[in-house]
Amino acid sequence: MDIFILIPVLLPIIAGFSLLVFKPNYNKRNLIVISTTIINLIFVLFVVILKKDTSFHIVRINEFLDLYFMPDNVGKIFAALVSTLWVFTVFYAIDYMGKNSNLNKFFMFFLITEGITIGIALSGNLITLYLFYELLTLSTFPLVIEKGSEKALQAGKKYLIYSFFGATMVLFGIILLFSQTQNLSFIPGGVIESMPISNPEFYLLIYLLLFLGFGVKAALVPFHSWLPSAMVAPTPVSSLLHAVAVVKSGIFALGRMTYYILGWEVIEYTGGNDYMLILVLITILMGSFLAIHQENLKKRLAYSTISQLGYIMLGLVIFENSSYLGGFLHMIFHATIKITLFFCVGAIMHYENKTELHEIEGIGKKMPKTMLSFTVASICLIGIPPMNGFVSKWFLAIGGLEKNNYIVPIILLLSALLTAAYLIPIITTAFFKGKPAHDVKVSEPNNFMLIPIIVLAAVNVILGFFPNAIITMIQIAASKLF
Amino acid sequence: MIELIPFINILILIIFSFTIIIIKKDKIVKFMSLISNLAVFILSIFLLIQVLDNGTLLLNLGKSSSLLGIQFYVGPMEAVLSVVFTFVMLMILWFSYSSIENEISKSRISFFYILINLLLASLLGVIYSNDLFNSYVFIEVSTLSACGLIILKDKKENIKATIKYLIMSTIGSGLVLMAIAYVYSITGHLNISSINEVIISSYQNHNNAVLIILGLFTVGLGIKSAVFPLHSWLPDAHSSAPTPASAALSALVIKVYVFMLIKVLFRMFSYEIINDFIIMDIILLLGSMGMIFGSIMAIFQKELKRMVAYSSVAQMGYIVFGIGLGTVSGTAIAVYHIIGHAVTKSSLFLISGLFIEKTSSKKIEDLKGIGKEMPITLGLFTIGAFSMVGIPILPGFISKWYLSLTCIEVGRVPLILIILASSLLNVLYYFPIIINGYFGNENLEGKIYKSKKIELKRLMPVFLLVIAMILIGAFSSRLIDLF
Repeated sequence: MDIFILIPVLLPIIAGFSLLVFKPNYNKRNLIVISTTIINLIFVLFVVILKKDTSFHIVRINEFLDLYFMPDNVGKIFAALVSTLWVFTVFYAIDYMGKNSNLNKFFMFFLITEGITIGIALSGNLITLYLFYELLTLSTFPLVIEKGSEKALQAGKKYLIYSFFGATMVLFGIILLFSQTQNLSFIPGGVIESMPISNPEFYLLIYLLLFLGFGVKAALVPFHSWLPSAMVAPTPVSSLLHAVAVVKSGIFALGRMTYYILGWEVIEYTGGNDYMLILVLITILMGSFLAIHQENLKKRLAYSTISQLGYIMLGLVIFENSSYLGGFLHMIFHATIKITLFFCVGAIMHYENKTELHEIEGIGKKMPKTMLSFTVASICLIGIPPMNGFVSKWFLAIGGLEKNNYIVPIILLLSALLTAAYLIPIITTAFFKGKPAHDVKVSEPNNFMLIPIIVLAAVNVILGFFPNAIITMIQIAASKLF
Repeated sequence: MIELIPFINILILIIFSFTIIIIKKDKIVKFMSLISNLAVFILSIFLLIQVLDNGTLLLNLGKSSSLLGIQFYVGPMEAVLSVVFTFVMLMILWFSYSSIENEISKSRISFFYILINLLLASLLGVIYSNDLFNSYVFIEVSTLSACGLIILKDKKENIKATIKYLIMSTIGSGLVLMAIAYVYSITGHLNISSINEVIISSYQNHNNAVLIILGLFTVGLGIKSAVFPLHSWLPDAHSSAPTPASAALSALVIKVYVFMLIKVLFRMFSYEIINDFIIMDIILLLGSMGMIFGSIMAIFQKELKRMVAYSSVAQMGYIVFGIGLGTVSGTAIAVYHIIGHAVTKSSLFLISGLFIEKTSSKKIEDLKGIGKEMPITLGLFTIGAFSMVGIPILPGFISKWYLSLTCIEVGRVPLILIILASSLLNVLYYFPIIINGYFGNENLEGKIYKSKKIELKRLMPVFLLVIAMILIGAFSSRLIDLF
């Protein structure tokens, strides 16, 4: 029953193409899209719970073009995260996108992207991951330019060029690596058997190429500028791009590369992670600082994403058990938090047609539940105990201290302050400015939109109180690495 | 009987081409060209099976070592190439049956099929020949029939392009002929294998002569195969020719000369001798420049067919690059790229022809929104473009991958940057067409879904070419192991 593992990848892709072929009307299309994502979630959970770490070969052309899937704990968590958040987004997107009839193409790519992202999660070697990584660029591109305006096309082009540039660097790295190891499978601890004593520079080059290449999708400074531009996409898309699909695929690929291909010991030997640590710290600070200056709410969240991705990448450049754990936790928590924030901002955009900070005065009185959810998610992101953001940042700080790297906790604290500085104004403007409460008629979003927002906000709180199940799963993965 | 197949192939094509002359009815002409090409395709498959089972096939017509002796040499490379070439030509013919009337006047249709048959015969001749002079004759026949194919359209630009092509390739032929004369004067042989035997033992006595020979062959065949910077005839010729002819010219004709170069470099000389001379570095340089500048020039083209033609210059760069690495694996990739590109470029040219026919405009900017009007056709174009850009599993990716590995093998890691830069440049000119075709409200406004649909019957050959392309990618390692 190994072939079972193909279903989570293929089902959304097939369902996506079926939209193109059958051209269903509004109701049928919604039914197909919703049922596909829910069924897929069930299949993914099946795989997560039932599958042992066995590999499944799709095609094996030769020793390098060997496409196969191998779900380990890391991949399983990512796949579960992706498919869960996709379900929420589908409900949200159906309301957000409206009854426009020619959205079949949009939802087609929407579903295909889910399949491809799960493909990234379950990939068993670097070449399979690279294939899905390229496909992800191609399948998300139509989503980014869904509005079809000149500005959207420009942003899309930027996205495409950045992504292909990154992928090309990755390919260069893969080629160099393959010439040395002849093996690209994901093995805990890396595929390099002995320390590269004779040519550490060569491995340093490989590491830098791979890190910077995958870093493009992970919005590593200086390759981050596609992400704010891509904000022209409809909100469900930007929330997905930010929370799970694209940037997290970049992070996930970085994790695979660091811990399962090169191996952290080799990287530490070459010293490459020290250079990258500098870039990561810059990413954290620069994202936060830029976010403060953004009037546009979506852009503000976009820069916030860049900063938060830096946190996650800390777990990839500081090789400590706690850092790994903290980074991984933050990848999950940031996904649920950021998607909530985006959903709230999107709801304001959709129902009130307001996009700028000064426009939303008093919106908290009009949409109290939405803005309350936003507040909860903001507190989580700032990292006030006992919210989930605190848990992950705690482990990240500990990891830095264990390495005797005192600058890491300092920057974490500073950035937490900055996070507060760019999120709190939104909340205060929404609740405490504008007309008094009794003058405002409450009008919350449609349930399709509101329920995902509230549920996700609740999930954030619950994850903060009970992170242990996830921590245990990550610890199992980490125990093979450290 | 089976060992005669190379000879029979050429014979069938030539006999049919001369029978077509006396037939007046277009339908019968088309039928006869189909029959002859189909027969050659099937025979080539038999030939391939034979070669794979029993190893290289040597066919002597006349005495092998004398001046008049003609020898055919069919190894795995030749056998695979002849299967691919006949397949591509068959698809091009199939495509032409429904479209050729739109492009050339009715009175000239039978000429088209005569020339196509002659062209394929001479291409196969160059591939099979193990004899320099015989190759030269076939090269001349192929050049002339290619000229004929371009000028069939009878417009001002065609005549200009043909004259340009004719002049340039005559210079090329002259250089090749001179080189052959030099070789003969040194070795006293025209048979490639015999020359090799002589030259291995005595090349050190004729260092300068060997260098001159290598230079003449490289430049002469380089002009004919449009190696950068000797390519200037190609964009005019290939973009003005009737669509099936451009597909044949870009996919097959220029490849044959480069294959001839491979034979000269590695079979007539050998890897050991060649790597003593500076010529390999020059070839590598030419290939690198072609990869980069061909792509850059393609970006600035306003006409679709010209863009695809410049892309051919870039792709020739890959092939020449593979040769220039001067190793067995480099050559194998070069031949693999010949195959992969033959299939890809022919489908791209045929699709471009369909676009031009339906929009009645050559300009790239008039292709906006074409994805709504011709979704399936642009979809096929997209797959071809993906191969050019280098999406894994498709042949373009495989070539780049193995070329890069070979670069590392010979210790020239920085060259990988050129390969990667070129594939990024490919993105820049192929993707705008696809993006503006499928996406963008302004682009799609006023376009009616499937309004310019092409009947499936007409798309079939393109479909088959794209399927063949995917298969060539999927079975790449087996193919490369053959060479």
